[in-house]
Amino acid sequence: MSADILMPILIVDDYKTMIRIIRNLLKQLGFEDVDEAADGSEALNKMRGRKYGLVISDWNMEPMTGYELLKEVRSDPSLGKTPFIMVTAESKTENVIAAKKAGVNNYIVKPFNAQTLRSKIDAVFAE
Amino acid sequence: MALMDDSAIRSELNDIADYIQSLRREISALQANDLRNRRIPAAGHELAAIVAATEKASNTIMECAEAAMAADPSDPATYKAFVIERMTAVFEACAFQDITGQRIAKVIETLEHIEVRISRFADATGAKDASGPASDKEAAEVERKLRLFIHGPPLAGDGAGQAEIDKIIEGEAKSAAQDDIDRLFA
Repeated sequence: MSADILMPILIVDDYKTMIRIIRNLLKQLGFEDVDEAADGSEALNKMRGRKYGLVISDWNMEPMTGYELLKEVRSDPSLGKTPFIMVTAESKTENVIAAKKAGVNNYIVKPFNAQTLRSKIDAVFAE
Repeated sequence: MALMDDSAIRSELNDIADYIQSLRREISALQANDLRNRRIPAAGHELAAIVAATEKASNTIMECAEAAMAADPSDPATYKAFVIERMTAVFEACAFQDITGQRIAKVIETLEHIEVRISRFADATGAKDASGPASDKEAAEVERKLRLFIHGPPLAGDGAGQAEIDKIIEGEAKSAAQDDIDRLFA
């Protein structure tokens, strides 16, 4: 496991229930230090004040989407290398390709299970 | 000749008057005020209640699961009784589906009510669809969704599955994905 994962994980989702689900799954996977944000702009503010080892973000949020957050993160030299997993119900091929072009590390389609989350986190930190 | 012209004009005016009368009847049949003041707000309230009920049930179920997972198993009898009590609460929480199903049926009924009236109005007036958004707000929202690839959850079989997504992320996308890439640069 990368040393980076010892840093906190930031979950970005505008749906409290989904944050709670992901937080519980992460707890089962051994990740206790988890923070949360309700949209991309709140996440960006948090990321500029604290270093995170991984961002797990929804796509469809207002005012700033997860896709916009991803592009902001990748264009910011101080944040650009933060691992980023998109977790979303947006499963059109064009979304996945756009996210990949923007620099996403992995992409999970909702609904998902703990095994999928674990395998994607493992894949990100095996890179 | 002048009399014939007057007669033709009178006939035209009568046709126009009939058409206006017919249009007024069809507009009345739309029951637009009833839709705006009662049916659509009621449907909105039903949908809000569905969101609230599903959220409450989800929270109850998650609380039960969290409590069961955190329970002390050192005394098997106490542990079993606690887990059974929490699982019973899960079953009770799942009753939300019956109520939300009935609420959804009422919303569908409202949509069908609107559909029938709009269809009848369109048929009666020969209305043709104008292209483009109906307001600046709608135009801005359409533009935002297109620019940010916001489609919402797909219906079954409409979106890519996790396996297909994995192939794209791992760079093993099928050739069909090139079409999507090309569209991004079009």
